[in-house]
Amino acid sequence: MTSLASRLKGRSELGVAALLGAAGALVLLDAARLVTPYSQSDPVGPKTVPIIVGALLLVCSVWLAVNVLRGGHGEAEGGEDIDLTHPADWKTILPLAGAFIANILLIDWAGWVISGTVLFWGSVWALGSRHYVRDGLISLALALLTFYGFYLGLGIPLPAGLLEGIL
Amino acid sequence: MDILSSLMDGFATALTPMNLLYALIGVILGTAVGVLPGIGPAMTVALLLPVATVLEPTSAFIMFAGIYYGGMYGGSTTSILLNTPGESSSVITAIEGNRMAKAGRAAQALATAAIGSFVAGTIGTTLLVVFTPIVVDFAVSLGSPSYFAIMILALLAVTAVLGESRLRGFASLGLGLAIGLVGIDSVTGQRRLTFGQPLLADGLDIVVIAVAIFAVGEALWVAAHLRRTPLQIIPVGRPWMGKQDWKRSWKPWLRGTAYGFPFGALPAGGAEIPTFLSYVTEKRLSKHPEEFGKGAIEGVAGPEAANNAAAAGTLTPMLALGLPTNATAAVMLAAFVQFGIQPGPLLFENEGPLVWALIASLFIGNTLLLLVNLPLAPLWAKLLRLPRPYLYAGILFFATLGAYSVNLQAFDLVILLVLGALGFMMRRFGLPVLPLILGVILGPRVEGQLRKTLQLSAGDVSGLWSEPIAIVVYIIVALVLVWPLLFKAWRRARPTRVAAAGPVTGGPVGDRSTADRSAAESPSVDSPTATRHRQADVSDGQENADAPKVTHVNHGQEKQ
Amino acid sequence: MSIVVGYVPTAEGAAALDRAIIEAQRNQSRLVIINSSRGDALVDKRYVPAEDLAAVTERLEREGVEHLVLQPVRGHDAANEVLDAAEKYRADLIVIGLRKRTPVGKLIMGSTAQQILLEASCPVLAVKAGT
Repeated sequence: MTSLASRLKGRSELGVAALLGAAGALVLLDAARLVTPYSQSDPVGPKTVPIIVGALLLVCSVWLAVNVLRGGHGEAEGGEDIDLTHPADWKTILPLAGAFIANILLIDWAGWVISGTVLFWGSVWALGSRHYVRDGLISLALALLTFYGFYLGLGIPLPAGLLEGIL
Repeated sequence: MDILSSLMDGFATALTPMNLLYALIGVILGTAVGVLPGIGPAMTVALLLPVATVLEPTSAFIMFAGIYYGGMYGGSTTSILLNTPGESSSVITAIEGNRMAKAGRAAQALATAAIGSFVAGTIGTTLLVVFTPIVVDFAVSLGSPSYFAIMILALLAVTAVLGESRLRGFASLGLGLAIGLVGIDSVTGQRRLTFGQPLLADGLDIVVIAVAIFAVGEALWVAAHLRRTPLQIIPVGRPWMGKQDWKRSWKPWLRGTAYGFPFGALPAGGAEIPTFLSYVTEKRLSKHPEEFGKGAIEGVAGPEAANNAAAAGTLTPMLALGLPTNATAAVMLAAFVQFGIQPGPLLFENEGPLVWALIASLFIGNTLLLLVNLPLAPLWAKLLRLPRPYLYAGILFFATLGAYSVNLQAFDLVILLVLGALGFMMRRFGLPVLPLILGVILGPRVEGQLRKTLQLSAGDVSGLWSEPIAIVVYIIVALVLVWPLLFKAWRRARPTRVAAAGPVTGGPVGDRSTADRSAAESPSVDSPTATRHRQADVSDGQENADAPKVTHVNHGQEKQ
Repeated sequence: MSIVVGYVPTAEGAAALDRAIIEAQRNQSRLVIINSSRGDALVDKRYVPAEDLAAVTERLEREGVEHLVLQPVRGHDAANEVLDAAEKYRADLIVIGLRKRTPVGKLIMGSTAQQILLEASCPVLAVKAGT
């Protein structure tokens, strides 16, 4: 047991294998539900490719799990602006996701100008800027500009929401 | 069809004031995102997809072409001035060019990179003009079995050859294919993977997927690992070259082009290998081999030319066969789909004027880039002072806006967040994103070809290899798949050779080293595709101590 | 006893450093040099590269000033970093450089100097470039 526990420790990558396995199972289950009408014009049917894809995902899942338990690990992606020496900074990610979700909840009801302002301001805050007033003004300006830009320039009416009639 | 007159018609379309304006917007945007950290041409084109749908397709593609080439130029500027290559194909430029810049020759390094890119881009585009119609003529004669085989080859080549881990490449491909399955099956009309959600019946919008994976996933990933220590940028004036620099640069430009184009045109050639080949060649041929690793102008001129020629080469399979082999080309292909244009061998026939205008705009964009970049290089460098919160918040903001504006439904934003989280996870665990995007885009087409093929053979599986070309392609597929095994066996047989190609560069230097992948193998001409961790062999022996540590990016993937 | 100086690689910064060295020599105090960056951009030209900082250190050693050089990158504004250091090292003098600012510029960007002047609990010596 202890050896298994120590093996599992720090192997969050097994989660990826689990995800692949779940995706594979889902694809296969869904494929099983499909009916294949016998047809001269479509001998392959709608099932074949999902079954291949599901099988590929399951194989990858098992292969990855074995690989990880044997000590393999995926190389995190580097980049110009990325410092991999410190661990993932959840204090930045969670507020960012929060701002994103707030936008999803607000956009249809409050309208893009409000939700977009919340999104940008919240993201900038999450990323560490503390110039509240300046950020607020920039957020509002961006949301307003894109609202009118999309409406007048591209003919796409973004929702006005609460500000209907004012904008 | 007369190529020259088609091309002239293309120029006539591309040179209208409106399209010239889009070309200019494209090259300026492209250079800007090439310079900016954390945002690249693929992400930019993805972010612009929703906006572009209201434009004329021709104008949109002219703009995208500018972004595609512009990203290369911008990338070389940061590589030289900052030593942070945005993509694996500019690793060499970063090392050699940054050494030149540190020695006070930043202006010459920038100039030889820009002019070399121009030369290579122009020659590469000319080769594109010459070869693409030939490939098209060949491709049009292919039947479904061969075409199916070629698509399989493209998928497997990108998955298995590019990237660090084949296993993770296949996992990514599987996820992409699964995402591509969502929606109504076109033949039987049954819903697949929709879970009773009517909103999923039309499938996932490719715009939403591209924006989620390239923009949201990337922004979240960078946000989680922001670099906190400021980098030092080398101040530079206007780029220029002396007579001696010209003399030393022109041959490497041409040789680099000769390496770059064919590799770019291959399904899994990529832009990385030719830059290494070019570097090694220049080092061998140079009269000043001792300067290499200390800032030799040939070491910037050759690889930069190879890099750009490969970019042009990549467009050959993209336009002739509808097979993208890098991220930006994949997103551009998604744009074709978005406009309702069917990519593939018939593209030239059905959309001739558009394609030729696109090609003509590559020539124009390349020239504009030279004009925009040479005098303005110091200005571009100022972009790097943009505070990160605004940059990444801006990416999220425009990603949301773009994804929402496609269908004006908040549901798409949920998908955006879920797939963005998937993109984050893939970057965290080293799953390359290119196979996923290719799986999403090519998956449905592969399935279509498969069904067509077996329909023709009335369900007989042997219909798959009923054409000689198909058989040849399957043999290549088999070689691609077993190649690593063969290489392993060969390595075991010749252990001494391996030792020579063992890790060379090592120790982290300064406080800016980030990537923990310090193992490097020297690129050797005899086994270019074999070395999986390729890094420049710029510093021999004793110089290792101050070898520049390069922030590394996933192979086979550009900065998105 | 110590003197805190906010240093940036500009004319004002150099003037502040020059003056701070004179003050430190006169009072036999320890000189704390702060060169901070918010670290929110890829490139910050106000953040001194290692070589240049080494030159500053060398100069301080030559002139016989007891010194401490700090380069905090914690996402804080320069003003807060200087004030923090003043508190931590119980400064009896803060030296800063002043530059010309348009009223609009001050409105948008705020003023580092102003914040230090208002919030410091010890005397502040403000120096202009070229004096």
